[in-house]
Amino acid sequence: MGAVSQSAEINEAYLRAQFQHCSDFVLRSFTLRDETKLILVYLDGMIRSESIEDNFLKPLLFDGLPQGIDRIPSLVEMFRREWLPLTSIKTEDSLENLVTCVLQGCLGILVDGEASALVAQVQGYEKRSIEEPQKESTLRGSKEGFVEHLRTNTSLIRRRIVHPQLKMESYTVGKYTQTEVVLSYMQGMADEQVLSVVRDKLDKIDTDGIIDSAYIEEWLENNSFSIFPQVQNTERPDVVVASLLEGKVALIANGTPSVLILPITLWSGLQSADDYFERFVFVLLIRTIRYIMTFISFALPAIYVALSTFHPEMIPSYLMISIATARESSPFPTVVEVFLMMFIFDGLQEAGVHLPNQLGPVVSIIGALVIGQAAVEAGIISTPIIIVISLTGVATYTIPRYSATLPFRLIRYLLLFVTGMLGFVGFAFGIIFLLIHLVMLESFGTPYLSPVAPFDGKRIKDILIRYPFAPKSGRK
Amino acid sequence: MIRFLLRMSVLMLLACAVSGCTDFIEPNQLAFVMGTAVDHADDGEVEVSHQIVIPTQKSGPFGGSGDSDSFVVMSAKGKNEFEAIHKVQKKMTRRLMPSHRQLIAISEQYFQKDDVSTLFDKLNRDPANNLRDITVLVKGDLAKNFLLLDHPMEHLSSIATGKEMEINGMNRFSTRQFIIDSLSEGTRPLVPVLQIEQVKVRSKETGPIAALSGFAALNKKLKIAGFLNDAEGAGAVWMSGKGTFHAITLPWKNGKDTLSFRLTHLRRRIDSADGHDPQRVVLTVMAQAYLLENTTSLDLSETHYMLEVQKYMNDKIREDLQLTMDKVQEWGSDVFGIGEYLHRSSPYWWKSQKDDWDHKFEDLDVTVRSNVQLRSVGASGTSFN
Repeated sequence: MGAVSQSAEINEAYLRAQFQHCSDFVLRSFTLRDETKLILVYLDGMIRSESIEDNFLKPLLFDGLPQGIDRIPSLVEMFRREWLPLTSIKTEDSLENLVTCVLQGCLGILVDGEASALVAQVQGYEKRSIEEPQKESTLRGSKEGFVEHLRTNTSLIRRRIVHPQLKMESYTVGKYTQTEVVLSYMQGMADEQVLSVVRDKLDKIDTDGIIDSAYIEEWLENNSFSIFPQVQNTERPDVVVASLLEGKVALIANGTPSVLILPITLWSGLQSADDYFERFVFVLLIRTIRYIMTFISFALPAIYVALSTFHPEMIPSYLMISIATARESSPFPTVVEVFLMMFIFDGLQEAGVHLPNQLGPVVSIIGALVIGQAAVEAGIISTPIIIVISLTGVATYTIPRYSATLPFRLIRYLLLFVTGMLGFVGFAFGIIFLLIHLVMLESFGTPYLSPVAPFDGKRIKDILIRYPFAPKSGRK
Repeated sequence: MIRFLLRMSVLMLLACAVSGCTDFIEPNQLAFVMGTAVDHADDGEVEVSHQIVIPTQKSGPFGGSGDSDSFVVMSAKGKNEFEAIHKVQKKMTRRLMPSHRQLIAISEQYFQKDDVSTLFDKLNRDPANNLRDITVLVKGDLAKNFLLLDHPMEHLSSIATGKEMEINGMNRFSTRQFIIDSLSEGTRPLVPVLQIEQVKVRSKETGPIAALSGFAALNKKLKIAGFLNDAEGAGAVWMSGKGTFHAITLPWKNGKDTLSFRLTHLRRRIDSADGHDPQRVVLTVMAQAYLLENTTSLDLSETHYMLEVQKYMNDKIREDLQLTMDKVQEWGSDVFGIGEYLHRSSPYWWKSQKDDWDHKFEDLDVTVRSNVQLRSVGASGTSFN
């Protein structure tokens, strides 16, 4: 069964066979006054039925063929001229393609005696309205966030870049999900090499389905075993627009509100959209704090263990005696205690993510009372460790992007492990390994630590201090 | 990648086995030594006492409550310092941690009967000693008794003395400085002297307190050359360039009224008299003075009175310091580092002098000059009376 048959019965039989056991499939056939047989096929809930009734069915059934200056002799003629009061319409000769279109929410129109079908884009399914992004909130700047609907997302970008150089290439990925993925870039700004690599990889994706843009991310990245993400994801149209103008490339997949941006560097994970919405002197302070906090977020537990159990002479005398006093009755070694607390902290965090909203406070109460207070009073965990782990936890969330925090949470454990064995020597080993890995890592041809290593004096202004109007020089 | 991970994990396991966590020590397995006392013992032995903090499970670093003692003093005798310390360690349940030591107290008796320089070999050789602690001399009592004292404000007597020195602008008397001074050819160490006094601290309580009562000048062999009292000591500290601030009270010309000054930015300079004659040295002390009390009838808002007072103050300071200088010179202990200056300015001359510098220093002609600027006379002009 390839082409659309002239016989309505054959077409109907094929469609019914394809959509067997599909309760949402609607096949409506009726005969007009001039005895022409008409078949409408669509999936219930996927189309705007009012619009079809008003613009298509009512005129045909009650008034007959539309009579204008030029009289239309038959429905077939009208059909051939695509004279339907609908904006987006095309003819389709293959039955397989017709099925695909119907699955995507189009209305299929078949006429007896005609060997092609009309496909009208009248999708009208329920979708979420544009809301403020939850994960990446800013104080100033746009409150719009991406939604699941692809075309809403592309329009959010298109509304911000009013220029034909903004390109949106479409790809269909996933054997069963047939997910539409849009590759968006600024022509002339984006690196052609990056573009061809991404096009190549998109074509090569061989998977059953794309549930979220994260699935595409895995197919795209070069080094899947690295703990650092090589693709950034965001829910904010303004971030995507800024990245596009920097010559980066965005990938928007249908059904997911997170848009992928590539290539990225380590620093892009540490930058917030707010950095560009505030005056740069203030941003200098905020960024300095954020970079220090980032260091704290992965290094503090290890430094604490190294200092207090390997090099107690490096801590000021009174502080050391305070720590020793607090640790006097602790049954576990410091490194085990720190590990336990980190484990509990991450466990609480994971529980908090999965709990229904109404149960959220329960976890905080248990976390604060049981682990915070009771464990210290019972002498199982010492107070300095609670302080260290809490500070580490807070520091983690100064990193503006959630997915950028994940590598640091992992490094925290690894560093603690080597430091617990070797002290500061181990800490140094850990940091050196980390740096070697970061220097070797690339995101689509861009060194992960650039512009710090390799050094680029012009672009580094934007990384460290956000020099005024630095975004202009951000493009390569 | 997987092979890399496998290799890494093998390396990690090896590191585990190789390191054996030998350097690893929990804070509750440590005994923090805050003060050490060195006393003379019979049969050529040395008695070493450690003042050790007891960390308690109460709030605050030192236990909070004042009644219970927050420290313990452990002592042992041995043929040398290490043996004595080792014997102390044998009595302890925790490893001694000397890195946080605030003070080393050496008794006068030990200075007289034993060779102090041998003590510092252990301190210098063992990297566990940070040398940031202060070396003091305990006069008229055992150094151990000093460690045993309670202090009305601080929890440990060694911390109290350390703070006392620091708050009074004398923070260049560390063990490190002591060792540098004792090893250099042209300087002799100046050691703070503590004396235990009975002080009435509360209405019903009179207790012993260790108070700074001057300085001891040592000679080449680290024997005590002589003691300077509090005022002389402060002058000597100024002249040796180790002071930061100082307070003086001078009698006015009529012998009845007094003027008190605070001196800050203490400095000193050494010059040869004619530029190159090493036998005649001029030591100039410099400072900024602030008038704090005036019982004379002078109205110091008048410039000529102010200049008169400044001139008078400089004369008196010069006289006092010259007396101190002459006294120290008689002992033949160059605590001022004049030898170091001459070493640099006249290196060839110094070669013939350095072997017997203590004696040569006695014959040196040292003139003290004073260049103190009166910066402020305070808010009021005349005295109230």
